[in-house]
Amino acid sequence: MGTLGKLQALRSGELSAVENLERFLERIEKMNRELNAFLQLNPRAREEAEEVDRRIGRGEGGRLSGLVVAVKSNINVLGLRATCASRTLEDYVSTYDAEVITRIRREGGVVVGMTNMDEFACGSSGESSAFGPTGNPSAPGYIPGGSSSGSAAAVAAGLCDLALGTDTGGSIRNPASHCGVAGLKPTYGLVPRHGLIDLGMSLDQIGPLAPDVHGLSLLMECIAGKNPGEGMMLEVERVSYELEGDVGGMRIGVCPQFSFLTDPRINEVVERKVERLRELGAEVEEVSIPHLEHALSAYYLIVSVEFFSATRRYDGRKYGKRIEEVCGEEVLRRIAMGSYISRKEYRGKYYQRALQLRTLIRKEFSSAFRRVEVLVGPTVPKLPHRLGQKLSPLEMYAYDYLTVPANLAGICAGVVKAGEVGGIPVGIQVQGPPLGEEKILRVMRALEAGA
Amino acid sequence: MKIGFEVHLQLRTERKLYCDCPTNYAEVPPNTNVCPICTGMPGAKPMRPNRAAVEAAVEISLMLGCRVQTGKPLYIQRKHYDYPDLPSGYQRTSLPLALEGSLEGVRIREVHLEEDPGQYDPVSGSVDFNRSGIPLVEIVTEPDLRSPEEARRFLRSLIRVLEYTGKVRPEAGGAMRVDVNVSLEGGGRVEVKNINSVKGTYRALKFELQRQAERLRRGERVSRETRAYLESQMITVPMRTKELEEDYRYIPDPDLPPVLLEEEWVEEVRGRMVEPPHLRERRLVEKYGLPPASARVITGERELADLFERVAREVNPLFAADWFRTKLKKVLNYMGLRAGEVGFSAEQLLSLLKMVEGGRISPEQGELVLRELAREPADPEEILLRMGLLPLGRGELEELVERVMEENREAVRDYLAGREEALNFLTGRVVRASGGRANPREAVGLLREKLEELRGKGQTS
Repeated sequence: MGTLGKLQALRSGELSAVENLERFLERIEKMNRELNAFLQLNPRAREEAEEVDRRIGRGEGGRLSGLVVAVKSNINVLGLRATCASRTLEDYVSTYDAEVITRIRREGGVVVGMTNMDEFACGSSGESSAFGPTGNPSAPGYIPGGSSSGSAAAVAAGLCDLALGTDTGGSIRNPASHCGVAGLKPTYGLVPRHGLIDLGMSLDQIGPLAPDVHGLSLLMECIAGKNPGEGMMLEVERVSYELEGDVGGMRIGVCPQFSFLTDPRINEVVERKVERLRELGAEVEEVSIPHLEHALSAYYLIVSVEFFSATRRYDGRKYGKRIEEVCGEEVLRRIAMGSYISRKEYRGKYYQRALQLRTLIRKEFSSAFRRVEVLVGPTVPKLPHRLGQKLSPLEMYAYDYLTVPANLAGICAGVVKAGEVGGIPVGIQVQGPPLGEEKILRVMRALEAGA
Repeated sequence: MKIGFEVHLQLRTERKLYCDCPTNYAEVPPNTNVCPICTGMPGAKPMRPNRAAVEAAVEISLMLGCRVQTGKPLYIQRKHYDYPDLPSGYQRTSLPLALEGSLEGVRIREVHLEEDPGQYDPVSGSVDFNRSGIPLVEIVTEPDLRSPEEARRFLRSLIRVLEYTGKVRPEAGGAMRVDVNVSLEGGGRVEVKNINSVKGTYRALKFELQRQAERLRRGERVSRETRAYLESQMITVPMRTKELEEDYRYIPDPDLPPVLLEEEWVEEVRGRMVEPPHLRERRLVEKYGLPPASARVITGERELADLFERVAREVNPLFAADWFRTKLKKVLNYMGLRAGEVGFSAEQLLSLLKMVEGGRISPEQGELVLRELAREPADPEEILLRMGLLPLGRGELEELVERVMEENREAVRDYLAGREEALNFLTGRVVRASGGRANPREAVGLLREKLEELRGKGQTS
């Protein structure tokens, strides 16, 4: 039963919100010990589901009508722990709801719990959580990807209907690809960030993970749109997507720089899907993002400087622990790098140059989108490693090679499962221009339907 | 000696700079005017800067004759430093909103918009975030001042300009913080922080002048450094080296779009702007022929100058100015009132001044009425009546004069014997006997008349 089927069952009363919740809680009970997808369950979830049932009874169930939502641990949910999977915030209990949570509640969504993640979203494997790594239910023994590891794993394992993740350099798309679920990083400024704990503020976006593209679209329709007063939002009141459009005649771009460094087995899976789109009548055209290879270094410079700034508040006074004293290696590495390159004497050398590169990449994407409507390609250039296998920082960063450009350019990008390599899911990435969500969701839906 | 300032003053807005919390931080229990934004809770995102604060800063810039940076993106910067009162570990400060103004010959370098941190109490180790996020205007001058006295005078003028806008909190309430740069010929530039009053600034400068001059006289170096002013001891001390080597690692705040000041809007603000006090002071001298000292006093507060210009339309401006500088100012000071706080109307004051100007009551009586007016505003005629100060009729005065002459025969004899001072004595008696209602000038005239009459009679008899 897909998201729409579930929603239908809830609305018709065939399934109550409480029953829906309890089925998930049972599965979580059974599977979470192994999977470690959830760090905390919502003790009030049942009460909240009961309230939603009363609302459904009055015909006021909202767009989510009792669908169960898992939330990444870097998003504030009043009374729950937004630890960012770090010792730094292990005692921090949220004092407010993030704007997206307010919206989900308004639409009758039930928050089931807080999911595991890479510490402060700094990672691409799901292994850097202070509370232990997350498993990959679709490829046991392998990393689930990250940093929204728990959210992707929870969706893949059927522990929730929908999940919120966050994506700064691929943190929704990467685990979606490795876990074989759908995920979307919205256009920068489309979804409110108020309540999202910072990694790189100019890159961070909250977005949905779901078992299917309809789930992504539904959650987006609930959380997207302007938050009055929030500084960096686009002038979009709300969104509504039509997914069942024809992809025939659509101009779809492929890019040689995407496949250049990618595992040939992954390229093969992706190419089969591109072929499928061609069969459906899409025009496939080759475009170029000449400076793609510089995106990764620009990204790490920018994210480090912003992360350094964002973590100054964890000075040990308000939250009990000084971040540098309790955090893991990768978080410390980024803080140190951010502190170093933002020094007065180096600013021109690194940060300013990184911002220039970012402008360049943005321009290259924007000229590509003058020729094609969407770009398709691989999500992650290599297959996930086995849990526990040691990687150097640079090997780890290489996972992000194909996802960071969308964040730098501020565009939207989504992932659906394209196939498998040796039993490991592989996702195809569809990127679109700013506010091109409907287009990419349509292509993703077509790929999903034709799978 | 070269002195330059960085002056910070709180702007008087209803709401904080980046959130909707109210700004009456001193009137409410600690940590009640707070929200996730102004306490820097993880994940909280600032709102766009409060338009009222931006407008106040622009208006202040215009009043200081600055060039407002219209049409270009003015980024809000994060200035990082580590202190308990700073909930996010950085303070937001705008790039200059305006450049290159001047005030009384001192060049203004730039004007910024900043946010106030919270208030840290080192004794209890607690922080009150009510103040966190209150908008501040920061004004940076060139090092154009030459002595502590000049600096003090300038600072007062600057505060007067800011208070004229009605958009800053009164300096006297501790809403001001001053950093001052001071250097002597042949010495390094010393920055003194932690000053929060005009008096403190003057004392810190006096101290620095002496300290630096003494070092130079002994042939020692004055090195470039940052010092803190200790209010309690009226001295400056070096700040810790850690604080000196601080690198603020400025970055544009990724959570905020740059401020864009549109030409048209700035012109609107200019149109609404009140006349700056330093220009008004000059105009009062030119237009009404006031002595500069009176003009300075009268323009000390906008409301005082407004009151003056209202009454100067109907009474002699010089007469009015004299009254303002001496009597009105005295009464207000005595009562601890600011001109903006008086309860009487311009019309009531005007009617009083007219009585004095027309000679209906004496200036002394006028001052009594003025005190009453300030204490319990009412129509001056009514006050006269209430106080029993209604001027005496000619007949009443005549009766009094005759009675006083009767009761003071010796003084009358003295006068007739040619001792002029006896007349003053008699006048005093008349005024006293009238309970202050008699106009001394009138009394003296009448007395002289009667006495001379007596002299005439005496000669004939």
